[in-house]
Amino acid sequence: MLPGRDPTAALLSHGVIRCLGATKARFLNSHLPNVRQLAKIHAEPDEGRNGGASPWEDGLRSESAFRTDILPLLLSLFAVGLVTAILLLLAQDVAANLVPIAYLIPVIFAATRWGIWPAMLASIAAMAEADFFFFAPVYSFRVDDPQEAIDLLLFLVVALVSSNLASRLRQETEALRRREKEMQQLYEFSRLLAACFTVSDLISAIQKYLSRALKQQVAFFAARADDHFELPQSGWVPMAVQQHVAAMSAAIGGSPCAVVDEPTRDVWLLGLLSSETAVHGLVAVNIGGGSRDAVEIRTRRVKALLDEASLTLQRLDIGKAMEDARLHLQAQLLRDAFHGTLSHELCTPLAAIRGSASVLDSMPAVRQDGRMLSLVEVISDEAAQLDGFIRNLLNATRVTAGGLSPRLEWADPRDIVNAAIRGRARRLAAHRVETEFTDDLPLVQVDSGLIEEACGQLLENAAKYSPSGSTIAVSIRVEQGRVTLSISDRGVGITPDEQQQLGRRSFRSQRHQASIPGSGLGFWIASTFVRANGGTIEISSQGHGQGTTACIALPGSSMNPSEHTALADE
Amino acid sequence: MNKPSNVVLLIEDEPKIRRFLRAGFEIHGFSVLEAESAAEGLKAATFSAPDLIILDLALPDLHGTEVLERLRSWSNVPVIILSVISSEEEKVRLLQAGADDYVVKPFGMAELLARSEAALRRYFKTATESPVVTTGPLSVDLVSRTVSLNKNQISLTRKEYRLLHILATHIGLVVTHDQLLKEIWSGNQRDNIQYLRILVRKLRQKIETDPNHPRLLVTESGVGYRLQARLEDCSAE
Repeated sequence: MLPGRDPTAALLSHGVIRCLGATKARFLNSHLPNVRQLAKIHAEPDEGRNGGASPWEDGLRSESAFRTDILPLLLSLFAVGLVTAILLLLAQDVAANLVPIAYLIPVIFAATRWGIWPAMLASIAAMAEADFFFFAPVYSFRVDDPQEAIDLLLFLVVALVSSNLASRLRQETEALRRREKEMQQLYEFSRLLAACFTVSDLISAIQKYLSRALKQQVAFFAARADDHFELPQSGWVPMAVQQHVAAMSAAIGGSPCAVVDEPTRDVWLLGLLSSETAVHGLVAVNIGGGSRDAVEIRTRRVKALLDEASLTLQRLDIGKAMEDARLHLQAQLLRDAFHGTLSHELCTPLAAIRGSASVLDSMPAVRQDGRMLSLVEVISDEAAQLDGFIRNLLNATRVTAGGLSPRLEWADPRDIVNAAIRGRARRLAAHRVETEFTDDLPLVQVDSGLIEEACGQLLENAAKYSPSGSTIAVSIRVEQGRVTLSISDRGVGITPDEQQQLGRRSFRSQRHQASIPGSGLGFWIASTFVRANGGTIEISSQGHGQGTTACIALPGSSMNPSEHTALADE
Repeated sequence: MNKPSNVVLLIEDEPKIRRFLRAGFEIHGFSVLEAESAAEGLKAATFSAPDLIILDLALPDLHGTEVLERLRSWSNVPVIILSVISSEEEKVRLLQAGADDYVVKPFGMAELLARSEAALRRYFKTATESPVVTTGPLSVDLVSRTVSLNKNQISLTRKEYRLLHILATHIGLVVTHDQLLKEIWSGNQRDNIQYLRILVRKLRQKIETDPNHPRLLVTESGVGYRLQARLEDCSAE
């Protein structure tokens, strides 16, 4: 603090008010609101503080303040006394006009060592002592010779000016040193932050750094979805701070504010931890008490750290977005590669096989020969099965790459089920398919392609896990406003244990792994497709050997079919 | 097929696919021309005047959609698209761009032949204009605007008849939702697919033996409807 900028604070910081005692301090409290809090801290006995404050902070308060504030004054007086003693001892050898110059030594020493106030005291003491011991009449403060009086005054002016200059130099050196220390701390902190990859990493780094390196209490309030803050999981926070935080809302762009905890008189700095897009939480740091200067310095330091943390948050946001984009791109590239190259590479030969077999099938020579015909049928059947596998793989990549965007359209559920049955006709050839559709079924708003595929998967599973010649019952009903498509087989059924694992991708029951071919993708694809359409899928079974029922429930049209009829015919 | 030898142009870059297509078409009395690139195909379409074009979407030099657009700029020859698993949007887009129908790979020859015959029938019908369309038990007289099922005349509402009329003039071919909506409900109901679904339901009640399992008026998921040219087509897929 430079002299003259804020005299009251300067006085405070150099311990003058402390000397005045509680009464004066109270006077200052009422008249100078800007230093009220600080003055109180100085004037009243230090008690009831929590144990977490650092020794460094304590050094700025109470008994140790004696050393920092009164001692320099005494030492500067002592230095002047020492010079006087030496001059008295060497009185014979030292010319009288050298006396004022000799006194400049303790003055400048006091200014560089302890600052302006001890130096000024030293100047006045030096002038007094020079007058008393060395200027005629000796051992008196009187000065008879006007020339000597001018000398003394000149000395005082020179002493004051040089002490001012020297103390300024000292302050600037100190400020530089402090700034260097702050930079070093900030550098250490940013190195710590550079190792953070998630928001929680960052928060724990801030807490660790502030509490360990700076020995300050820190608490973190996480932002909730409702724009308020949660209470901290760990660390003690005074009531006043909690109340203040509860009243705050997590809006972007808030600036740090300070709260004073009355019982301990500690200043708590509340800073938002936010990036450009979101507020992640609020950090409460105990700045402690002490002189206004000390509080300011620590506030500045903590603000710098919080700024640094916010920058890191932005970096994390950008980093996360980039990582997401990279993963998305990779998934998309994989999907595109699969859809483009692989599907082409797999489907083209398959199309040639299937097409060639179908041409052979229609040739009179083949149709007349039973053996040739059955071989051609084998080719066709296997090609159809391969086609099913490829389609499943393509569907699975569609789902995992996040490329499923249903094209919702009003559709007749009967059309969807009929198309699914027709599409799987070959696989269902060995079974009897019975359908039961209730009259007046409402329309459903779905992507009929996806639901048809889901139904097809369930039909295929029903055919796969039930004996040839058994019945597969397919029905559509309306239950509680939802259209339910159900597919029941009379097959092996599923155990409760298997039922729990059904939703998993690639799940296949141990019982069938050896005997029935499959990839385990079918049900997973079906359930993903149904969910993408806002529907639900359920599998139930009476148990082993009791058959399985799969139900797809879809949201139905709220409009009565007869209302549609009236409108459609207009 | 009335014409003794229809000429079909195959624009397809995969030789193995061309080979079975050639065999399949030749067995059924077509003469076959082949082109293995879009440029070659467009040239052959100009100079050889084929009756039908089978166009693969994935060609090395030009996308099939582009080839279709160029063809449509000067010719209304029937075009059937071959595509590897494609989305409903793409099918609709192709149909709107002027394709007569599409077949998704892998497919059976019977399916492609059925589509081809339907497209050819429609292509030649514009010239000869036979007034009665018959499929299974259903016959639609486009001139007297009468519909009969098993020789018994049935009565349809105006919109039901309009729907059947459009499908009958495209018999065996898919007609998109958009096209049907546009032609039946001109004006503000054009986007309301629910009306179309209900109208189809009502028409099926009148013309299908079992409306729950339609065999004449079939749905093409996400694309449109098709009036089957022959009843056995239902099980051929």
